[in-house]
Amino acid sequence: MLLSSFNRTVFLAFLLLMACWSGLSTAQETASGDHVKVRWLVPDTFGPGAETIGFYFEVDPGWHVYWRNAGDSGAAPRFDFAGATGEVGPIQWPFPVRLPIEHLTNLGYEGDVAYLFEVTPDAAAMDIVVNLEWLVCKVDCIPGYGIMTLSRPVGTAADWQPQEKQLRDRFLAMVPAEATAENFPWQVAAVTASPQADTLQLELAPRDAGAELSSPDVFPLDGGLLTAKAPEVAQAGDNIRYTFERVPGAPMPPTTGFVVSDGERAWQLDDEEIRAGAANAAGAVASATGPANTQPLWLLVLAAIAGGAILNLMPCVFPVLSIKLFSLAGHDGQAAHRVKEGLRYAAGVLVTFAALGALLLVLRAGGSAIGWGFQLQSASVVLGLILLFWVMALSFSGLYEFGHHLMNVAGRSRGGSFATGVLAVFVAAPCTGPFMGAALGAATLLPAYSAMAIFLGLGIGLALPFVLLCVFPALLNRLPAPGPWMETLRQALAFPLYATVIWLLWVLGRLVGESGWLIGAMLMLVIVFAFWLGRHAFRGSRWLAWGLVLAALVASFSAANRLQEQGVASGSVQQQDVTAGWQPYDRNAIGQALARGQAVFIDYTAAWCITCQVNKKLVLDTAEVADLFRKNDVYLVRADWTNQDPEITRALGELGRNSVPVYAWYPAGERTPVLLPQILQVSMIKDLFSE
Amino acid sequence: MKQGMRSKRSIAKFLGSAVLFALPTLALAAAVPGERAPAFSEVDAAGKTHKLKDYEGQWLVLEWFNKDCPYVKKHYGSGNMQALQKKYADADINWLTVISSAKGKQGYLEPAEALDVAKNHKLEASAPFLLDSDGSMGRAYGAKTTPHMFIINPEGEVVYAGAIDDNDSANPAVIPDSANYVAAALDASLAGKAIEVASSRAYGCSVKY
Repeated sequence: MLLSSFNRTVFLAFLLLMACWSGLSTAQETASGDHVKVRWLVPDTFGPGAETIGFYFEVDPGWHVYWRNAGDSGAAPRFDFAGATGEVGPIQWPFPVRLPIEHLTNLGYEGDVAYLFEVTPDAAAMDIVVNLEWLVCKVDCIPGYGIMTLSRPVGTAADWQPQEKQLRDRFLAMVPAEATAENFPWQVAAVTASPQADTLQLELAPRDAGAELSSPDVFPLDGGLLTAKAPEVAQAGDNIRYTFERVPGAPMPPTTGFVVSDGERAWQLDDEEIRAGAANAAGAVASATGPANTQPLWLLVLAAIAGGAILNLMPCVFPVLSIKLFSLAGHDGQAAHRVKEGLRYAAGVLVTFAALGALLLVLRAGGSAIGWGFQLQSASVVLGLILLFWVMALSFSGLYEFGHHLMNVAGRSRGGSFATGVLAVFVAAPCTGPFMGAALGAATLLPAYSAMAIFLGLGIGLALPFVLLCVFPALLNRLPAPGPWMETLRQALAFPLYATVIWLLWVLGRLVGESGWLIGAMLMLVIVFAFWLGRHAFRGSRWLAWGLVLAALVASFSAANRLQEQGVASGSVQQQDVTAGWQPYDRNAIGQALARGQAVFIDYTAAWCITCQVNKKLVLDTAEVADLFRKNDVYLVRADWTNQDPEITRALGELGRNSVPVYAWYPAGERTPVLLPQILQVSMIKDLFSE
Repeated sequence: MKQGMRSKRSIAKFLGSAVLFALPTLALAAAVPGERAPAFSEVDAAGKTHKLKDYEGQWLVLEWFNKDCPYVKKHYGSGNMQALQKKYADADINWLTVISSAKGKQGYLEPAEALDVAKNHKLEASAPFLLDSDGSMGRAYGAKTTPHMFIINPEGEVVYAGAIDDNDSANPAVIPDSANYVAAALDASLAGKAIEVASSRAYGCSVKY
């Protein structure tokens, strides 16, 4: 023992000698370079056991040295132990701060820092020889090198200068501890890599529910995977979600690590498993629950045709078709003409579906998450439809003999039937029939040609009843002969149109806030006033009318657009839901409820989806159903897709859908949802609990 | 008191993050392995314009340079960088060395100075330095450090982005024991093999935009 420690000392002395001769730097107890002085942080006498000691870096103000992951540039200091009379542990790195340097972010220390390590002497003296290299930077960087030696006696107990020990303890407290259930106030809810966006999300959940914790800083350990830029921090219920930017093109390792710090203490998370995010999960779920990969194409197309046909009966399509049928009935009834009209209508529907399908495919290829029904998510489109339906309604009511013009638009001319077809598709899109959702969902996951086949299938379905009616005059002939009844009917048909206008106004309100109503109503008022002006032809009144309409159009459309961009939307709506027991969509909260084994019901809905609203009013918001949900302790979620929330788009994608309504039911203790039909009945909800 | 401190800090944090959000829209553009290389058009120290298009159908290496950066010195002082440039020039691989330092910042060079530096650094690149003093090319590529390295294949795709090797020491003595990512990627490509490491943390000094 004595001999070996003697040998060791000789060996160290030899090393020292070598170091001196190598001439890089003189071996001594300190090292220094531009803006940096390094000295030991050690006791005067070592005890026999393990001791944590360190290198104390005194750095000029404004300059900094680096953490183990230096961030976007820079480099961590290196400590190369050439020899030691004892066991030397790994370097312990106090938690860093983010240092934004021009366009980059570095991880390091502002001011002095101590890099610590543990030694256990196994000789009569604690001798260490270490090669140092460091980088000190302000904006420009200066590397420094040095060799430091240490020689202290080993006694029965460690003997520190009090201020030295204090300094050591200060930095020791900043060294991250391995995170455990006892010491770490959070737990890792998930580490998720999103394949589309170059991001990685870390989600921390407070370990004790309801604990008041401010969001800690999180530093990635792997600078090759994540940039040092401060992550986007979002509160998700009680959880905190950190979205880190990935280094472009970095391959995804199976696990990664972080250091979490509350500014006083720090914890280290090692080897957190990275789960694949949205797209992969969507694929997996779709193949499990959706028809996408299992059903033959012809079946899907058939389903699409059936779904399209049912669209005809949807409340938002029916008015358009009535108009068209009305115009045909008013016609002199030549079969050939009717067939032509029917085919034109079909062409309009199909071309529009093809165009929308192509658009969806292009956007899908672009990686953009988009759902069916997106037309009505734009305030200008809604306002345009309000305008259209309002003018039609006014005309039907007889305020303005717009009949001939209207027939030209939605009726007689070639463009007319075609235009009706186009219109039908746009108006139908939001209220997807029961079959449409599945088919469309599949379409977003299928190869392009199959997706297009499904779109065309939907179009064929939508156009079919109308074409049949045109081809088989027997059916059409059952319509009564032209006469005074037409006037009555026309006036009666105005009312569904007024209803549609009200519904659209409401949609606009949901999109841009309460001013949506005002903007829409003002535009409507100006239109009526302009009609009145136009009818009472005094000098220049027509010009005045046109001018007014133009001004109103410009003002209202730009206001609606601006409001939507400002995102004045939603909010208020959700609050009222929360009091009724419905929570806004929050992936983590849902995950937690599922983890608790609680039953979860998710209502994927949107203001512009009339089927959704009908289901809500007639089923979900009834006292009976609310009672059922309460009794069975169901976690209720209303996923409001009115503004095309990307999180909800993703969730829909995972269910193999991209339109609403979707009703996902997770029975207690289950993690795979049952999807309920798109048209709900109270009995269906009762059945969920009857087993 | 403590409360006040905390709220102050969170306000500062909020402002900080707001600034962070506002700033880096430009910096988001980057050359990403597996994606198309961003186009560029820069004039070299000798006055010749180089465009990405000019290198269609050929291999191209881009290297970011700042003569005063210790890490650049590490690879030039040791002759490591020039040896790579020479080796791959002989294999008909183009190599452009870019200076993105803004005027007045460290590493900025006027054309005449740049020609001198090219000479005394024994630069073996395909052209004397590209002078990107407005930082447009550097930002388009997301060049963070000197030396930041990019390899573009004949199809115009980025196949490597990152550090020159796996050792972020500024000490030239470590070079012989370092794994050179750029050489490995080029050798693998020339041999028709897949590139093993296509991305790494670029170490070095920050580019002085």
